[in-house]
Amino acid sequence: MTVAIDIRGVTKIYNPDSSRPVQALDSVSLSIDDNEFFTLLGPSGCGKTTLLRLIAGFEEVSGGEIMLFDEEIENLEPNRRPVNTVFQHYALFPHMTVAENVGFGLERLKKPKDEIEATVERVLNLVKMKHLGDRRPNQLSGGQQQRVALARALAPSPKVLLLDEPLSALDLKLRQAMREELKQLQKETGITFVFVTHDQEEALAMSDRIAVMSDGEVQQIGTPTDIYEHPVNRFVADFIGDTNFLDGEIVEFNDDLVTCRIGSNSLYEAMNSGGHSVGDKVTLFLRPEKIKLAAAGDSDGTQTRPGKVANMVYLGNQAAYNVDMGDGIELTAQARPREDGKLPFAIGDTLAVEFSARALRVLAK
Amino acid sequence: MSVWLPKTAAGRRWLGLAPSYLVIGVFMLVPMIIMGVFSFLEPNPYGGVKPVGSLAAYVKLFFEYDLEDQLVFNPGYMNIIFRSFQLSAGATLLCLIFGFPVAYYITLQPENRRNLYIYLITIPFWTNLLIRTFAWIIILGRGGVIETPLLAMGVIEESLGMMYTNGAIAIGLTYSYLPLMVLPIYASLEKLDFRLLEAASDLYASRFEVMTKVVIPLCKPGIIAGCILVFIPCLGAFIAPNLLGGGKNLMLGSLVQFQFASARNWPFGAALSMLLLSAVVIMLIFYARSASKRADMEGSD
Repeated sequence: MTVAIDIRGVTKIYNPDSSRPVQALDSVSLSIDDNEFFTLLGPSGCGKTTLLRLIAGFEEVSGGEIMLFDEEIENLEPNRRPVNTVFQHYALFPHMTVAENVGFGLERLKKPKDEIEATVERVLNLVKMKHLGDRRPNQLSGGQQQRVALARALAPSPKVLLLDEPLSALDLKLRQAMREELKQLQKETGITFVFVTHDQEEALAMSDRIAVMSDGEVQQIGTPTDIYEHPVNRFVADFIGDTNFLDGEIVEFNDDLVTCRIGSNSLYEAMNSGGHSVGDKVTLFLRPEKIKLAAAGDSDGTQTRPGKVANMVYLGNQAAYNVDMGDGIELTAQARPREDGKLPFAIGDTLAVEFSARALRVLAK
Repeated sequence: MSVWLPKTAAGRRWLGLAPSYLVIGVFMLVPMIIMGVFSFLEPNPYGGVKPVGSLAAYVKLFFEYDLEDQLVFNPGYMNIIFRSFQLSAGATLLCLIFGFPVAYYITLQPENRRNLYIYLITIPFWTNLLIRTFAWIIILGRGGVIETPLLAMGVIEESLGMMYTNGAIAIGLTYSYLPLMVLPIYASLEKLDFRLLEAASDLYASRFEVMTKVVIPLCKPGIIAGCILVFIPCLGAFIAPNLLGGGKNLMLGSLVQFQFASARNWPFGAALSMLLLSAVVIMLIFYARSASKRADMEGSD
């Protein structure tokens, strides 16, 4: 597979000569395949937007190399890099019509006039905005501006499209609809998308691969399932989805399972992730949706334990239960309301809590 | 309550606005009306006007009486008016060329330093314009700051004769009104979304194209406002033309001043003022038209 973007040991330090230099990226290396929907995911301040701006050329690298299809680009001016950006706040030119905005890049590239017209029409059609070509950006809704920004960045047929939290300014329904459209658009155009977001749901829904970042470093790169099911550290497990974390100590190994002591003296079977030995203090994690709750006495699972509902939050399609397992252990689990809308358990109920040893995982060192 | 207030909302609104109507009326409309009336009267040789209606002042703009008492076309005043427009346009252009980069530079500074620079730009206004224009005589004049070292080094043999030329007037006008160009351009540049510059360069615009296709079109209102603010006072200026033009290169402003102060032909001075006023009003109408058209096109964002 061809590599579209190869980032090699890229470091970025803001105000390097001042008294308070800020290290935004610390020797980041990753490669993005051609025709891939690649997402940079992380909390604000993790360096994901900085990385995107370095690829686009709005910032200069403090160290390292950025290769675009085997061409070194980190010292080129932004207008010499065959990549285009969809900006977070769209950055549409207010003094131009929608069609002029979309044609801007092609005109700078000195394309023939009829080719520009044809491309603008084709791209506006692609984002379903053909009928609004004569409007000004401020006569459009947020969602429409979003589409124009997308069309404007796609029109020059960039080798890579960079998207800087493009959906964050839209309301929920529109955001969900645009997710599918973006994914569809990426498949249709065959252009490599590099998508920056802090919204883990967005990342899981759209990406081929995700790079989870924090504190200027890449924590994990993998497919959405990889990242969700096999987080390499506590940060990734915590950032993606809801998680129960338990502190424990390894008591003994048997095949790929380990027995851990959690709390003062509760023994649990868990999946091992390697790199540990008996006596190690470890962190275990357990996704709430992998815990099955039943009324006390109903269950006969392998790892069934009694618990008591300590607290509950109603979320409509489900309820999140805080279950007190005794011995200082508390787990968050989920249960669906019954057909008549009533919740299966109430605060104070005693439950049978069941989860597989394969769902409870020891985090790697 | 013993205070009388109008009963209707419209009445109260009118009352609230009354002070501003009063100020505009007393300080703008009444003097203008007086000017307009004076321009249609006969001059009193001892100053002031005689209450006798006459179109003589307007006739004098274009014609004079020759030795046989025949009206013949006199291009003299027209030439002065033409030169005034030329010099004002030149000074406006120079202000734009020097002022835009200054405004742009200030916009790029960190916020606290921007205010300092704006403050520095306005400092010349704290000194009398007359004195500052005199300074230019020392700079440009015979034996002045520019000529003396050049003469001493033997670069030039004799005086360059920079003083008392149209060029000297243009320099004086540019100097006087440069801040009036910088401030409105700065005001519009400050509102500019600098992310648009990134978007433009991302879309393959060179630095030059970023300027011509994005920055300049978007701060056009500021540029136009600056040009108006410079051009109009230039037309009416009399200190720079009198001091730096040496009285031989008259401008409209100095001509008006001369009619009231020395020639004692108030109606003619008033007629010249009315001409100046109508030229300015016509230009402002054009500006307002194009501005409202632009606002229509871009909506109300």
